[in-house]
Amino acid sequence: MIRHLFKLIWNKKGAHSLLIIEIWASFMVLFGVLSLIIYNFTNYLQPIGFSYDRVWVVDLSNNQDTVGVAAKNQRIFDMISAYTEVESASRMSNNTPFSANQMNNNVTYNKISAVPDMYETDDNLYETLDLKLLAGRWYRKEDQVSKFRPVVLNKVLAEKFFQDENPLGKILSKEDKKPFKVVGIVDTFKAKGEFMSNAPAIFVQNESMSDWVQPILIRTRPGTDATFEARLVKDIAALAPGWGIEVSYMTESRQNRHKLTLIPVIIFLIISGFLLTNVALGLFGILNLNISRRRSEIGLRRAMGATGWNVTLQILGEMWTLSLFSILIGLLFAVQFPLLHVFDLAAGVYLWAMVAALLTIFVIVTLCAWYPGQQAARIHPATALHEE
Amino acid sequence: MLLNYLKIAWKVLLRHPFYTFITLFGITLTLTVLMVLTSFLDHLFGAHYPEGNRNRSLYITMMMQTDSARESVNTGPYSFQFLKRHAKTLKSAERVSIASMFGFSNSYVGGKRIKLNTKFTDADFWHVTNYKFLEGKPYNDQTIAQGERVVVITDDLKKQYFEESTESVIGKTIEIESITYKVMGVVRGGPPTRVYTYADVFFPYTAPKSNYQNAGMRGGYQAIVLAKTPGDRPEIQAEYDNAIRQIPLPAKENGFTFSVIVAKADTYFDGFLRTFLRSDNEPNRLAFYGIASLVLLMFMGLPAINLVNVNVSRMLERASEIGVRKAFGAPSQTLLGQFIIENIFITFIGGVFALGLSYLIIYYINSSGLIAYADLTINWVVFVTSLGVCLLFGLLSGVLPALKMSRLKIVDALKA
Repeated sequence: MIRHLFKLIWNKKGAHSLLIIEIWASFMVLFGVLSLIIYNFTNYLQPIGFSYDRVWVVDLSNNQDTVGVAAKNQRIFDMISAYTEVESASRMSNNTPFSANQMNNNVTYNKISAVPDMYETDDNLYETLDLKLLAGRWYRKEDQVSKFRPVVLNKVLAEKFFQDENPLGKILSKEDKKPFKVVGIVDTFKAKGEFMSNAPAIFVQNESMSDWVQPILIRTRPGTDATFEARLVKDIAALAPGWGIEVSYMTESRQNRHKLTLIPVIIFLIISGFLLTNVALGLFGILNLNISRRRSEIGLRRAMGATGWNVTLQILGEMWTLSLFSILIGLLFAVQFPLLHVFDLAAGVYLWAMVAALLTIFVIVTLCAWYPGQQAARIHPATALHEE
Repeated sequence: MLLNYLKIAWKVLLRHPFYTFITLFGITLTLTVLMVLTSFLDHLFGAHYPEGNRNRSLYITMMMQTDSARESVNTGPYSFQFLKRHAKTLKSAERVSIASMFGFSNSYVGGKRIKLNTKFTDADFWHVTNYKFLEGKPYNDQTIAQGERVVVITDDLKKQYFEESTESVIGKTIEIESITYKVMGVVRGGPPTRVYTYADVFFPYTAPKSNYQNAGMRGGYQAIVLAKTPGDRPEIQAEYDNAIRQIPLPAKENGFTFSVIVAKADTYFDGFLRTFLRSDNEPNRLAFYGIASLVLLMFMGLPAINLVNVNVSRMLERASEIGVRKAFGAPSQTLLGQFIIENIFITFIGGVFALGLSYLIIYYINSSGLIAYADLTINWVVFVTSLGVCLLFGLLSGVLPALKMSRLKIVDALKA
């Protein structure tokens, strides 16, 4: 049957070559857009790993003021922690969640080397961001005395380093710096939002948070509003005149992060949606015209005893074979993406995108060929042959 | 004669409304996507308010410091002092303005918070850009030297901070991070996509927190160089390159020793590519153009193939019509003329639809507030060019088969 269909198509390869190119191009466009969507969707399914509502970020900069910066830092932090509106406050390096800043460093264990996102934090971050601990504990003040810096890893990084071993108490080395000692494991930590991939992350205790001007994260009590924010800014400005103070809400910066991901996806989706509608309409039109040209052929088949269903199936089968052929060419191109690591995506994403693109093409083609196929089935052998 | 052809064309279009719709849909869609895309690119890279002088401007925005092996790299904007010494002194330029990258701040009015984008500028900033003053006037060198606490704000901020006040707000005060400033001027705001000039509030660079005193090469400042004519720009670039070469190397900043600095005065588009690609070598730029045009070709090629496909099938269907016309003595040229007119006709209808649709989309983008102060417009050059391309494809796909068929023997044509 398939060999027969191939022969039918081969006989009219000139007329079909344009159709093949069209389906091939549609497949490639679909493959691209679906890879993007599947990548973002699989990321979205992983939990973000911390809670961000009611968390504010206070960004400070000391500008020209270089006198007693550490003391001022400490006073500002103590004052913020003392407000009744503040549930918990914490200081961390400036790669705060949802910010544009990123910090990566090389960490090694037993010759396995990784470049995780590194967050230098104080002992309160665990509470302020409500992180989910899977094993061990968060670092505490007592850890400071040891000759190692205590760290907490996320699950991805722990699995990469230790596979099945118990990660707690293991020592990691970091170039020429003081080595790290693992004290705890958290689940996921996707600092750039839900659409970020679940990348390796490491939290490092910083004993001297006051020495540099660092952002302060504040978890506020429910119902706290801009009136408190204005008071906060005024109080900080009074403590440290000339300093830059900027307060932002994590919920807002999260929305901005999401927009960065979603807007390109939506634009691609709209454009490819229009393109595919265009292609589907064109395909439908061409098939319709083909049927009216092949009346005598179909009439003859009907006269020789083919049922209406047989005829519909033939039209559908021809289109399916044609699509399969185009998609095979398309797959040759698509396979290069995971093989050559064109973008830094997992091979599974491409694989799912290929399957999804293939199914979509078949659905479109079937929908387009269905009505012309039905029409062909309705051709009465007597009239068709009489016309001839 | 022409009117007659048009009448026939119209009848042909109506005879198969469905195919007409497919063809029109393809043409309209392709043109609309092209129009909106180019209009957006023009918004990003063209010379528009408040950077109307972009065509004769150069942007000094980023400095890269690296060791000779290019293993560690530090990249960022300049310090004010560096630009004052090396950019402000460019002799071949008409004017040079130094302004900070936009920063963020908040202001609080009556339990409400207003998010602010701030910028510290010198007095030349108001000459290099063409910001339109709705009220008051810009600060000048004297105001800056005296370190007066003054600001220029946008009309949008005026509306938010002074609660829709219709009176002039010149001389009124605005409190930002617990410091009070006097409003000196109100300008019409510009879109945030023009990052080198965008802000809600402009301070003289001697205002608190501007960090213009910082020594060292890198800081938070950028310069816009205005040339007398666009043709003067290569000369300025050469002068700036020369000034950079005079800097003694290797040098040390923030504990980082570097022996190479890359600092360029770029045109707006080159500067954008440099930041975007994070690299200064040619091959990368070529690769970027390659990928961009491949994606565009893919997206635009699909409707083109579709148009060709539908057209070819339709022409085959009309074989008998051609046969009859030939049998009654119509020469090939007449037939050809008819098909050309038909194609031009449908392409132009598609063009009109596309124009309408593009206007709607652009109007929506401009008024939706997706981009504040968006000023997208239709680019007529692109419109005419893409209409021409559509026509070309239409003619190739519609007229070539028709030509082939008009050469058929009458008997064969009639039989089909």
